[in-house]
Amino acid sequence: MNISTDPWVWIAAILTLAIFSFLYRENPFYRAAEHLYVGLANGYSITVTWHLLLVPILINRIAHGSSIGTKVWLIFLAAIGALYFTRFIPKVSWLIRIPIAIALGYSCGLGIPRAIDAEIIRQLKATIVTRAQFSHWDQALWAILILIGVIATISYFFFSAERKGALKPISYVGIVFIMVGFGASFGYTVMARISLFIGRLQFLLGDWLGLIR
Amino acid sequence: MQFWKRLQSIDRRWIYLVVWLVVMIPLIFPFKIKSVATAPVESLFTYIDTMPENKGLIISVDYSPDTQAELQPMLVALLRHAFAIRRPVGILALYPQGLGLGEDAIRQVTAEFNAHAKSGADSVISGREYVFYGWTTPPITPMLGMGQHIAKVFPVDYYGQPTESMPAMRRMKNYDDVGILVSIAAASTPLSWINLAQTQFGIHLGCGITAVSAADYYPYVNSGQFTGMLAGMKGAAEYEELLEQGMVKRGMDWKLRRKGTEAMSSQAAAHLAIIAFIIIGNIAFFVTRRRKS
Repeated sequence: MNISTDPWVWIAAILTLAIFSFLYRENPFYRAAEHLYVGLANGYSITVTWHLLLVPILINRIAHGSSIGTKVWLIFLAAIGALYFTRFIPKVSWLIRIPIAIALGYSCGLGIPRAIDAEIIRQLKATIVTRAQFSHWDQALWAILILIGVIATISYFFFSAERKGALKPISYVGIVFIMVGFGASFGYTVMARISLFIGRLQFLLGDWLGLIR
Repeated sequence: MQFWKRLQSIDRRWIYLVVWLVVMIPLIFPFKIKSVATAPVESLFTYIDTMPENKGLIISVDYSPDTQAELQPMLVALLRHAFAIRRPVGILALYPQGLGLGEDAIRQVTAEFNAHAKSGADSVISGREYVFYGWTTPPITPMLGMGQHIAKVFPVDYYGQPTESMPAMRRMKNYDDVGILVSIAAASTPLSWINLAQTQFGIHLGCGITAVSAADYYPYVNSGQFTGMLAGMKGAAEYEELLEQGMVKRGMDWKLRRKGTEAMSSQAAAHLAIIAFIIIGNIAFFVTRRRKS
């Protein structure tokens, strides 16, 4: 056993145990650690934004170096961005819509055509069963299974017609696929949560207590 | 009957205690579990391993400390791989929290390689073998901007050094010089890389994601939009295994710590315990329901 003498490791270990104490019941140690985490994360983000973004890209370029045209352009953009703060002044809070509208318009214009290509057309292509897939029996099996799964699941979410006739058995098959999907997601979620716990235990038993390497 | 009834109303803290013990004991007394690589992991490994010499690797560190346990071993393994096969590496973060984690991994891996370097040429040096671009926002800026000119998006690196004149930057000017970009993420940023960078520039993408989101990403692996995928700590362990096998085959002395692999015995024990809980819980439910009826 080789307990750490680093005070930062001790602080991290105590805060980890404070968070874990919630498993027993709600308590002030857990609350304190939780608030500290939220505060630190925000403080860190603000500091990084200031030092790595606002100072080099905006303030330094306005203060020295850039042409007059660039400076005016940067000041104009900074003023538009600053309109986000008008939400704290009720009389002019409507001005916040300007930067939000610009950001939304820009993101939608850029994102929608690309999303249609990447998330619809490419995914549709991936469900098409081709002759090449039949060169290996396992590939062919998966391709057919995916095709059936997609059609059955979409049928389950087809609400424009009553679920009877041919639609009824197909939508039941869809339920089976949806349940398998839920099961896979749940299994992965268990794995993820256990992994996070293992990570903390590796820290407590290794870096802090020196019980493992 | 009484036993099954009591089991159904057991205090959940007993379950926490069992899980705690089941995870902790194999960490102290580990048993060996061999990680067999799944197809998406093998595909990513093979692609990077056989990348042409003039192509580099970009890693996007898109996670924060809360998912460090699952994702940091992936970043470490990818950096080790790229440095071992001498491909230039660019590292960026799309969120400020990723910066510290990226720097930690770079410091760890460069120290491992430089400890065994026989000459200056063998060493791993910032600007020559890798560039830590740092962070910029919004994410759309690096995703699209790096397709044209990386040095314009990141004129200085994380340490404030001008990037344009760096040897690694001369080898990786834009996406044309990048073999693959791997987004290690706890959110949906890998999909944004597909939508923006891949759709416009056709760049090859890989992803390292938390196990929670793995089921959502399989369709993109199936469609070929992701060349490969590492899912959770298990994915990291599989990559570590492939990497060690590959490097030993090349005659390298590879005795590096494998944090993902070390966790697998605990992971397996915890899964068995949870399967047992589910089975016992279901038996208790059906037995008490039958008795009631």
